[in-house]
Amino acid sequence: MPGGVPCEVRCRHRDPQRDRSCATAPVRIQRRHSIVSLLEVKNLEVRFAMRRQELIALRDVSFKVEKGERLGIVGESGAGKSVAAFSILNLISKPGYISSGEIFFGGKDLTKLTAREMSQIRGNQISMVFQDPMMTLNPVLTIGTQMTEALHAHQDISREEAKQRAIETLARVHIPSPATRFDQYPHELSGGMRQRVVIAIALITKPPLIIADEPTTALDVTIQAEIMELMMELCESSGVGLILITHDLGVISQMTERAIVMYAGRIVEEGDTRDIINHAYHPYTHGLMDALPQKTKPGRRLNQIKGVMPALSSIPDGCAFNPRCPLVIDLCRTTLPQFTVFGSTRVACHRAAARTD
Amino acid sequence: MVAARWHQFRDSGFYHDFSRDKTAIISFFILCLYVVVCFSAPLVAPFDPYDPTVIDIMDSEIPPAWLERGDPRFLLGTDAQGRDLFSTILYGTRISMTIGVCAVLLQAFLGISLGMIAGYVGGSLDNFLMRIADIQLSFSTLMVAIIFLAVFQALFGTELYERLAIVMLILVIGIAEWPQYARTVRASVLAEKKKEYVDAVRVIGLRPHRIMFRHILPNTLSPILVISTVQVANAIVSEAALSFLGLGMPVTKPSLGSLINSGFEFIFSGSWWITIVPGVVLVILVLVMNLLGDFLRDVLNPKLYKN
Amino acid sequence: MFAFFVRRLIQATLVMLVISVIAFSIQDNLGDPLREMVGQSVSEAERQALREEMGLNDPFIVQYWRFLQKALRGDLGTSYFFKRPAVDVILDKLPATLELVFGASLIIILLSVPIGVFAAIYPKHWFSKFAMGVSIVGISIPVFLTAILSIYIFSVELNWLPSFGRGETVEIFGGWTTGFLTRDGLVHLILPCIALSSIMLPLFIRLIRAEMLEVLESEYVKFAWAKGLSPKRVWFVHALKNTLLPVITVGGVQIGTLIAYTILTETVFQWPGMGFLFLEAVNRVDTPLIIAYLIVVGLIFVITNTIVDLVYGLVNPTVKLARPQGGD
Repeated sequence: MPGGVPCEVRCRHRDPQRDRSCATAPVRIQRRHSIVSLLEVKNLEVRFAMRRQELIALRDVSFKVEKGERLGIVGESGAGKSVAAFSILNLISKPGYISSGEIFFGGKDLTKLTAREMSQIRGNQISMVFQDPMMTLNPVLTIGTQMTEALHAHQDISREEAKQRAIETLARVHIPSPATRFDQYPHELSGGMRQRVVIAIALITKPPLIIADEPTTALDVTIQAEIMELMMELCESSGVGLILITHDLGVISQMTERAIVMYAGRIVEEGDTRDIINHAYHPYTHGLMDALPQKTKPGRRLNQIKGVMPALSSIPDGCAFNPRCPLVIDLCRTTLPQFTVFGSTRVACHRAAARTD
Repeated sequence: MVAARWHQFRDSGFYHDFSRDKTAIISFFILCLYVVVCFSAPLVAPFDPYDPTVIDIMDSEIPPAWLERGDPRFLLGTDAQGRDLFSTILYGTRISMTIGVCAVLLQAFLGISLGMIAGYVGGSLDNFLMRIADIQLSFSTLMVAIIFLAVFQALFGTELYERLAIVMLILVIGIAEWPQYARTVRASVLAEKKKEYVDAVRVIGLRPHRIMFRHILPNTLSPILVISTVQVANAIVSEAALSFLGLGMPVTKPSLGSLINSGFEFIFSGSWWITIVPGVVLVILVLVMNLLGDFLRDVLNPKLYKN
Repeated sequence: MFAFFVRRLIQATLVMLVISVIAFSIQDNLGDPLREMVGQSVSEAERQALREEMGLNDPFIVQYWRFLQKALRGDLGTSYFFKRPAVDVILDKLPATLELVFGASLIIILLSVPIGVFAAIYPKHWFSKFAMGVSIVGISIPVFLTAILSIYIFSVELNWLPSFGRGETVEIFGGWTTGFLTRDGLVHLILPCIALSSIMLPLFIRLIRAEMLEVLESEYVKFAWAKGLSPKRVWFVHALKNTLLPVITVGGVQIGTLIAYTILTETVFQWPGMGFLFLEAVNRVDTPLIIAYLIVVGLIFVITNTIVDLVYGLVNPTVKLARPQGGD
């Protein structure tokens, strides 16, 4: 596929006339002006066909990512955020499948693509960074092989050129002596280094969108900050769009421009990160905020949300959050709340108005 | 109490999966049939194959009853000595199954004890035991058994050997395969040891053997159950192979393997049933056990130890 | 690499030493060399004198040392039955057994990898289900029974293939007799090779399928898909190599079993190999031949295991063979 270079990059360095989709706007401020979003997910539903029943992991999920925008998806484990991320590239694990909905990217509905067309999107237009760098890299292939194969899969490029690109990309993610690393195996690198390699692999084809699924959860705390900083720097410098999946609202607030809060397979709140952090409407978002260590006085227990997220097989009627919600009313137990818009945010809660003050 | 247990079992996922798996149900019932029929062999069998007075050499090599020249007295025909094949197979299967089960009990006893000690004590003892297990596994059971039994037979003569055959077979197959259990149990013990409840009971001050048998062992039962099914099948096959080579049960007290062996030469003269019928009986027995083993493995899905 | 090789060599030597001790104690208990050398007429006093002269009254360790020295020179005594050096008798039969093992291994490797991989990639395909069904039946039929059944069907009933022996062989490289170069020899190889591979083949198909299924679920394979690689590359570059690593190890462990199976197969097909010879030697209490078989089989076993370990070390980059300079 010839369009391996993301349009933003092209816009900056080349003639903007050559790419129609680039002609709309410069990188940073195009969100409110662009006509076509980079990615648009509409009413996505994902089911898992288990042995005894079908479980619905994702219900009615819709969101957009603009060019160069950094979107955060936050929620407890099991909320469906990873499923949402993996379903974009149709990479959900086996019993799972997309049962309905549309995913528009580059004018195409990704849910309708053939396997072959899909593999031309994967790694080329949309790259992924996985959670655990110890498991993501193939132990029996060299770093170099695993980097260049992504290039060879999408571009007609010579081996020498591919190697050059790989070493350059390794340097971009601040890996020391990249030429040596090129010939090494994953087990010769530390966890932080491996995650840098994974990020380099995601970047090497210069895709317009990267999906990062809890990219720092498996790493040491000190290295977490380094990796986040690196991702931030790379996104800003090349204008790559980012979907960042995490359970940490703190990370969301530092890294992203917009945020989605998910609970039990649904989006419960969505809006500008600044607004969500400063003025959340949904009680669940509040709960997440209160649970942040920064919000707790030293020496006191963290303010955890009471109870646990329901299993997919036993989601309660009405609002799924009602058994844990401090503001619950009878309506919440019977009726599913619709989205209400407050400024930049939309929120699915019967009691959202109670928070407006 | 029993009723409550039964209800608990019936409501479990295990029963649910079992009742939906036709292969597992059929295999289980065939296995039950084998056990019941063979262990009541003296009641079921029309002849006593160990009693030379009821055997008439004139009856030799009669084909199964449904073939022409067949004799309704002998449902599956007779062997070269004139023994009723059906009765002989019943008794033979009983011997094969006894040896298989006893050998596996011995394996399990040795393997579970050594595996628990290795996993619980750890350190150099663990290293030592596992190294031995590795070496013993790499020499195949059959190879060790053949050489051991061959030398034993040469050393003590055929006559004594024939009297001791059952015990020798159980001992050899039992001792050769303990590493299978030891590795699995050790892996489970190591996994369980990391969990908090073991620390908890240790803090209470329970003694090591109590911790191992009361708390850790129950948690290793499902992988043990899976291996046991397959191991009994393997032991029966090993016994059959040894008997086939003339290193196992004597023709006078035949197991399925020795029956197949004694009938082998007659397939060239057309008396195929003497070897094929016990062969089919053996294959079905081993097959249903392997199928049940597969079913258990899928359902219980224990992380079996792998190299 | 060198250190690895040396360590492996020491291990192999140790295993051989253990085997030689076992072999020697068998000889010590089983064979009375005097019985073979002199008749019944010799008096007890003369026997004692002879024992003393031959060193049979020396302590165990001295006798063992003598045995070891002779064994290292390739002298394992003279076969009682063949009246020839036992090692020579065994080595005469070696080609027959090795060719049988070679043929069976060829069948196992050439069929198990593609079938196992296919069954893992397309688990719902009818062929996969068929192959897995046949495999579990195949595993449940003992080798000697497969041999008997195949003789009954293809030799007795259909009369297509010969039921015993090697058929016509030719001698190559001075002394190695092969059945691979004549039509008759090849025809004779078919049934024994199929019988010998009949348990290992389904075993490896199941093993490869199970390993491959596990690897296909791994994160790095998922990541490979996320890179947009072609299915061929994901399956055969990313998954297959990781699948085959544990299979190589199991293959090494199974060598012993394969040798044991040759005894069964050779017995049924009266294949003039080492296993058949060994059983005859056992029946004749031909101690030197039994010992020679043990030592030769032990050597084959140790050599192949060392090779398997080396191959594993070369294929698996996480085994430190040549990279003393680690990562960061």
